[in-house]
Amino acid sequence: MDKRLLPLLPLVTKPARYTNHELNAQHKEWSPDRVKMALAFPDIYDVGMGHLGFKILYAIVNGRSDALAERVYAPWVDMQQLMEERAIPLSSLESGSDLASFDLVGFTLQHELSYTNILKMLDLAGIPRRSSQRGESDPLVLAGGPCAFNVEPLADFFDFVVLGEGEEVIHEILDMVKTLKQQRAGRQEMLRELAKLKGVYVPSFYRPVYEDGKFQGLEPLYPGIPAQIEKRVAPDLGALPFPEDFVVPYAEVVHDRVMVEILRGCTRGCRFCQAGMIYRPVRERDPEQIKAQVEKLVQSTGYDEISLSSLSSGDYSQIRSLVADLIEAYQGCGVTVALPSLRLDSFAVELAQEIQKARKTGLTFAPEAGTQRLRDVINKNVTDQDLKEVVQGAFQAGWHRIKLYFMIGLPTETEADLDGIADLARSVLEWGRESRTSRKRPEVTVSVASFVPKPHTPFQWMGQDPLEVLTAKQEYLQKRLRRPGVQFSFHQVEQSFLEAVFARGDRRLAAVLERAVDLGCQFDSWGEQLHFDRWLQAFQEVGLDPRDYAQRWLDPEAPLPWSHLSPGVDDEFLRREWQLAQEAVPTPDCRWDRCSRCGVCFKLPVVNRLVEVAGRG
Amino acid sequence: MGSTIRFQFSKGPEVRFVSHLDLARAMERALRRAGLPVALSEGFSPRPQISYGFALPVGALSEAEYADLRLSEDMDPADFIEVYNNHIPPGFKVLQAERLAEGTPSLMSEINAALWKLELPGMSSESLQQRWQKLQGEDKFVVERQTKKGSRQVDLLPLVHGLVRIEDVSGGAEVELMAAVGREGNLRVEEMALLLGFNQAEAVVTRLGQFKKAGSCYQPPLGNRGFTWTER
Repeated sequence: MDKRLLPLLPLVTKPARYTNHELNAQHKEWSPDRVKMALAFPDIYDVGMGHLGFKILYAIVNGRSDALAERVYAPWVDMQQLMEERAIPLSSLESGSDLASFDLVGFTLQHELSYTNILKMLDLAGIPRRSSQRGESDPLVLAGGPCAFNVEPLADFFDFVVLGEGEEVIHEILDMVKTLKQQRAGRQEMLRELAKLKGVYVPSFYRPVYEDGKFQGLEPLYPGIPAQIEKRVAPDLGALPFPEDFVVPYAEVVHDRVMVEILRGCTRGCRFCQAGMIYRPVRERDPEQIKAQVEKLVQSTGYDEISLSSLSSGDYSQIRSLVADLIEAYQGCGVTVALPSLRLDSFAVELAQEIQKARKTGLTFAPEAGTQRLRDVINKNVTDQDLKEVVQGAFQAGWHRIKLYFMIGLPTETEADLDGIADLARSVLEWGRESRTSRKRPEVTVSVASFVPKPHTPFQWMGQDPLEVLTAKQEYLQKRLRRPGVQFSFHQVEQSFLEAVFARGDRRLAAVLERAVDLGCQFDSWGEQLHFDRWLQAFQEVGLDPRDYAQRWLDPEAPLPWSHLSPGVDDEFLRREWQLAQEAVPTPDCRWDRCSRCGVCFKLPVVNRLVEVAGRG
Repeated sequence: MGSTIRFQFSKGPEVRFVSHLDLARAMERALRRAGLPVALSEGFSPRPQISYGFALPVGALSEAEYADLRLSEDMDPADFIEVYNNHIPPGFKVLQAERLAEGTPSLMSEINAALWKLELPGMSSESLQQRWQKLQGEDKFVVERQTKKGSRQVDLLPLVHGLVRIEDVSGGAEVELMAAVGREGNLRVEEMALLLGFNQAEAVVTRLGQFKKAGSCYQPPLGNRGFTWTER
C-alpha cells in the first residue's frame, strides 16, 4: 500500500479498506518490460471487492509474465478529504503506486450512478479528466462493463472502451500496448492501433452530429474506423479462464464468498432488462468444471459460502444435481451453498429448500408487476397461478417471510396495476395464513423500484414517468399497503431519474458530469450522499434539461446516441418487442421454444449452449 | 477424541488495522484452508468453536493474543502450530500452543491485565518520567468515557498497575505500561494517551503480554512463566 496513507489510517473509518496484504493479493515487481494495468472500481473497497469481473481480469493479467494488475478503489469521503489536504494522490492497493503511473487505467461501468466517482478518482489521481487533455506521460484510461453499451455521456473521458466480454480482448490489448510501448509509439498512434481490435471503441475518433438539437448520428473521423462496434462474446464459457484463487479481504465486503459463474446470458427476454439483452446468448458451464473450480476456490480462500452466480441460476440445466452434489461435498465442513437471483417458480422453492434446510429466513421473488396483463407487457412470464403455488409452497416449507420486488412506471401501467401490487401483497398474507407451517406470523415485504428505460432494450424509446408521478405512485402504494404484516420500501425517485438521464444520455452530458463533480456530487448511489439540488444546478449551468433525457419518448425510427455500440441484438427485434409489449403479447424463451430472432446468433459466432439436460422440474 | 488447544499468536504491522471481527473471520478461513479437524457448533449455521480473549484495539500490534480452539480429533500442539502457520494470512503467527485441561476457565474470564509497549515519536523519557511522578501524587485522574450507553466518568489511576520501563530511543521514547484489561476494568489506548499526554495517531501500540493477575502475581494464560511484580 501507499506509505503516505499510513499516518491517516487511525483517523478514518474502516481503515482496513486502505491496507493491503490480503491473502492471495498479487505483488508483482514493477519491471520496465511489464505492462502495468490498474483495475479501478468506481466505488469503495467494500463494494468493489465483490465484483466478479475484476477478479477474472485480475487473474488473467497477473497470469501473464509481461503484465501486472493492481486494484484501486474510491476512497470514502473522510479519506478523500485527508488526501486532498495533504496532496496525496490516489494510488493502487498492492504497490501503492500512483494511479497516474500505470500504463492502463481500466474502470468498470456497473451502473450510471457511479459516473461521478470516476471523475473524482481521476481528479484524486491527478489524471486530466478529458481524453483530449491527457499528454504522452498520462495512462490510457479505458472502460468496460454493461454501461459501456451507452458510454456516450462518458465518451470524452475515456481513451478507449471495450464492449462485451473481456477475457479474450484483454490479451489483445496487452499484447498491443506492450509492442507499441517498446516502439515508443505516441498516444494517437496507440489509439489508432487499438481501434483495429474487435470490440474496441475509441470515442475521440467519432463526431456526433446534431440538427436543431436533435441527434442525427455519429460520424467516424477517419477512414477505416468502423461505423458500428460489435461486442466481444465467447462461444464457450468453459474455454475461458476462471481464477483459481480470489483475494480474501479482511474487511467486511459484499459478496464475500466463493463465486462461480455457472452460466452467462439470459434469454428469458424480460423487456425492461438490459442484462438480458446485452449478455446474450446463454452459455452454460459444464458441471464438472464448476465443481472443480469450487473445490480450488474453497481450498485457496477458506470461504464458508459458495455462490453459484448468473443472471438466473435456477435456469441452469443441471441445477438440481449440481446443488445436491455441492451440498453433499461441503456441508460436513460448515460450507454452505447460495443461489442468488432465483426465478419465481415452484422449482425455486424446492431449490431454496435444498440449500436452506434448517434456517428459513426469507425468500425473495421478483414478480416485477402487479397484474397478469402488465407482466405480459414486460414479458415476465409468470402467471398468477405460479405466484400462488410458489408462495403457498414456501409457507408450507416453513418460510414465514416473503419479499417481493416490483417496478412502478412501467409502460402501459394504470391504477389497476398499482392496485394489483397491493392485492398481491394481501394475497400473500392470506396464502400464508392458510398454508403456513411456521409458528411465526406471515410477513411480506414489498420493495418498489422506479422503472428506468435502458438502451438496447425494447423499452429504450419510452420516457420515464415524471418525478412527481413516481412520487405520487409511491404514496398511493404506501397508503394501500398500510396493514399489519406488510412492510414497504422504495428507491429514491431522484436516483432513478438520474439513472435514466445517464442511461439514455449523449456526449453533451459530459459537461454536466464535470460540473456536478465540481459541486461535490459523488457516491450518488449512496442515498445519503446524493445531492439532487447540486445536480439540478449543474444541469442549469450547462444549459441542459435533464427531463429531455429521462422523460422524452424517442422516435423508434430515429438514430439513437448508442446505435453504434452493438450488443448484437437487432433494432428490428427491439421494435418488434416494443410493439408486442403494447399488445401485451409475451415472447417465449428461445432456449426451450422457437427462436425469437433477436439477431445475436446471426450476427455473432455464438449460439445458446446448454449442458446436457437432466430431467428438469 | 476431541481436545481443546490454547494458542498464542502475534499480530504484525501488516494487519494492524484489521479489527477483532475481521480477525476472527480471517482465522476461521485459515482453519478451513488448513483442513484442521475443527469442532463445529451445533445449530442452523455451524461455526468453528473458537473463542478469543479481550479484543485488541484497531491499530494496535500484539505479541500476545490468545485463542481457545476446540478440535474434533486430538492433535499434537506442535503439529497444530506448523499446519496452522502455513495457512494463516501474512502478519499473523502462532507462537505457542498447548492442550487445555478440561474445565480451564475461558480467556475472557481469566485475563485481567496486559503489558503494553508504547512507541512515542517526538517524546522524551524525561518529560514522561516527570509526568508519571506527578500523576502518582494525584488522588485521581478522571476522564469522560464514551460507551454505547452514553458517557460516564472514569478514574484512570486505579487501572494503571505501573510503568515497567521508560526509555529514550532514536526519534522519541518508549514506554512499557502494565494496565487493567477485561470486564472488571479496562484501560483504553485513547485513555493511555490522555494519561501520558501523547498523540494517539502517531503512537505505535503493542500488546506485549496478557496475564491473570492476583495481587502482585502475573500469570500468562499459556506456559508457566509467571512472575511477581510491584512497582517501586
